[in-house]
Amino acid sequence: MYRKLSRNLLFFVLVVSLSFFLNACAKKVVQEEALPMEEPQVSEPMESEEERAAREAQLKEEELRKQREIEEAALREEAARRETKLREAFENVDINFDFDQFFLRDDAREILAEKTSWLLEHADVTITVEGHCDERGTTEYNMALGERRANSAMKYLVNAGVRADRISTISYGEEMPLYPGDNEEAWAKNRRAHFVIFPE
Amino acid sequence: MKERSFVFILAFLCVFSFKVTTPWAKVYIDIESPSFRKFPIAITYFTNVGGGDKKESISLEIFGVLCQDLEFSGLFNLIDPSHFIEAGGEDPESDNDGKIDFNDWSIIGAEVLIKGSFCCNGDDLKIEAKLYDVFRGQFILGKRYVGNRQDLRRMIHKFSDEIMLSFTGEKGVFDTKIAFVLRESTHKEIYIMDFDGYDMRKVTDHRSIAVSPTWSPNGNKIAFTSYKKGNPDIYVKDLISNKEDRISRYGGLNIAPAWAPDGERMAVTLSVNGNSEIYLVDVHGKKLKRLTKNWGIDVSPTWAPDGKKIAFVSNQSGNPNIYVMDSQGGNVRRLTFQTRYSVSPDWSPRGNKIAFCSLEGGCFHICTMNPDGTDVRRLTTADSGNNEDPSWSPDGRFITFTSTRDGKKSIYIMRTDGNGQKRVRTFNGRSSNPCWSPRFH
Repeated sequence: MYRKLSRNLLFFVLVVSLSFFLNACAKKVVQEEALPMEEPQVSEPMESEEERAAREAQLKEEELRKQREIEEAALREEAARRETKLREAFENVDINFDFDQFFLRDDAREILAEKTSWLLEHADVTITVEGHCDERGTTEYNMALGERRANSAMKYLVNAGVRADRISTISYGEEMPLYPGDNEEAWAKNRRAHFVIFPE
Repeated sequence: MKERSFVFILAFLCVFSFKVTTPWAKVYIDIESPSFRKFPIAITYFTNVGGGDKKESISLEIFGVLCQDLEFSGLFNLIDPSHFIEAGGEDPESDNDGKIDFNDWSIIGAEVLIKGSFCCNGDDLKIEAKLYDVFRGQFILGKRYVGNRQDLRRMIHKFSDEIMLSFTGEKGVFDTKIAFVLRESTHKEIYIMDFDGYDMRKVTDHRSIAVSPTWSPNGNKIAFTSYKKGNPDIYVKDLISNKEDRISRYGGLNIAPAWAPDGERMAVTLSVNGNSEIYLVDVHGKKLKRLTKNWGIDVSPTWAPDGKKIAFVSNQSGNPNIYVMDSQGGNVRRLTFQTRYSVSPDWSPRGNKIAFCSLEGGCFHICTMNPDGTDVRRLTTADSGNNEDPSWSPDGRFITFTSTRDGKKSIYIMRTDGNGQKRVRTFNGRSSNPCWSPRFH
């Protein structure tokens, strides 16, 4: 397309130069005659190298910007997806405890480390840590144990730099089991701390 | 409204005692002595003296309730009615003391005999029940009950209570109730029912989690924990006025209420200072005194009937165990050592035993011990699932508890020697936290 344009321009320049030459020659041979010279004269002024380069660059720029916008939108979408996923993981991934214990196991600490970095990246978010127990033992002892579990998780987050006033705790004891079974598999999953993001 | 009708029935269920017990009945039986032998008892179908037809169902119902109560009492062996010699359906008008041929009863081995009659007109029901000593050919006890048709079970429970009184010197507990928690989808609500599972009534409608019901000493109120407002707070429901108060709502846990025998104070567990500790509060939730002070969990207080001591659960040794302290705090002593997990203490109304729940061989079992921690006895057997939450009957002769032996967690009752274990009733949801009422006056 550019090439076609330059070819036309070259043709035009040639035509103009030829008319001058013919005019000069005619003075000698024939009578003066007005020629309609003006029209082609007033057409586009000649474009300089720089101007052309600038225009081309601008076109290129335009194209790149559009490209970037598309790419950025995709990235933003991807980031939002990732963000939602992280947010969901924050709420959906519980930490689990041993029977009648509230110390943090290694697997719980790993999960809490991820939760910590998410909380540090989202300084405006406040959360509730829920402490839960399996269905064995008394309602009452389990409520106290659930509170200990929630407090263990909160202590970890605060020690890792999350502001304490962003975290509240509550114990549900054995009252809200995730899994209904009367077996170790269900009990192990029910002994947990669960994390809930406060609605903004 | 329901609770109001409950009181209404109490007021209108008139009882007439129409002969004083004989001196014989004053010789009480020590049913806890090892040499105790159950009394063979003959329970006859009560006769209809009121005319009209289709009253057989009433007769059957009376028979059913009497059999259930007296069998569960552990005091009697029921004699199969097919062995009876005396023909049923004799002229009821002639059914008086002089006309009973006690030989007919002693020949089949009966030592005790129950006869009676009823009269039902519309909604009105009148029942007369009599107890005889076959061996001596003597009348022991007679009662007349006048009330509503729907009070039938209550009337017979009251008669069973009188039978227990004449044999043991202490009234029975057949006219008492059990408060408990029933899971309804995701909610838990508090209910009360007769000790045998009949006449179930809903106490809370919080559509939240309501647990740990406990009766006031006079049986008019129930204290419990509910998440109705988000936090576990302690509520008191008046069963007479139906009024409900949230009495304790400090930050953190407000759980495990236990009325003092005086009915004026409660021992509760609060975590307002960051750690769950037992406090003494008044009936409005005002803190009177902090009773425990250690780094561990302290929960589930239960009062000695004289109000001088409180048993509770603490994990100050690393695992939950039963401890005892003075009711003003202090003098703390550990009672359980045999397993690493013992919870749910309930002090017997007689004062001589503490029931609790212990983890043994991977399962929870109901145990009893003396208040000094000696003489630990396991009452539930190895193949009976998880057994938890013991609560004494007001005469200290029975224990209600939960068990998973038949699948889902249900409420059971048994005698304190572990005999007579039976499921009270099955509900759609899981039931838990049974608490036996005091006697109603």
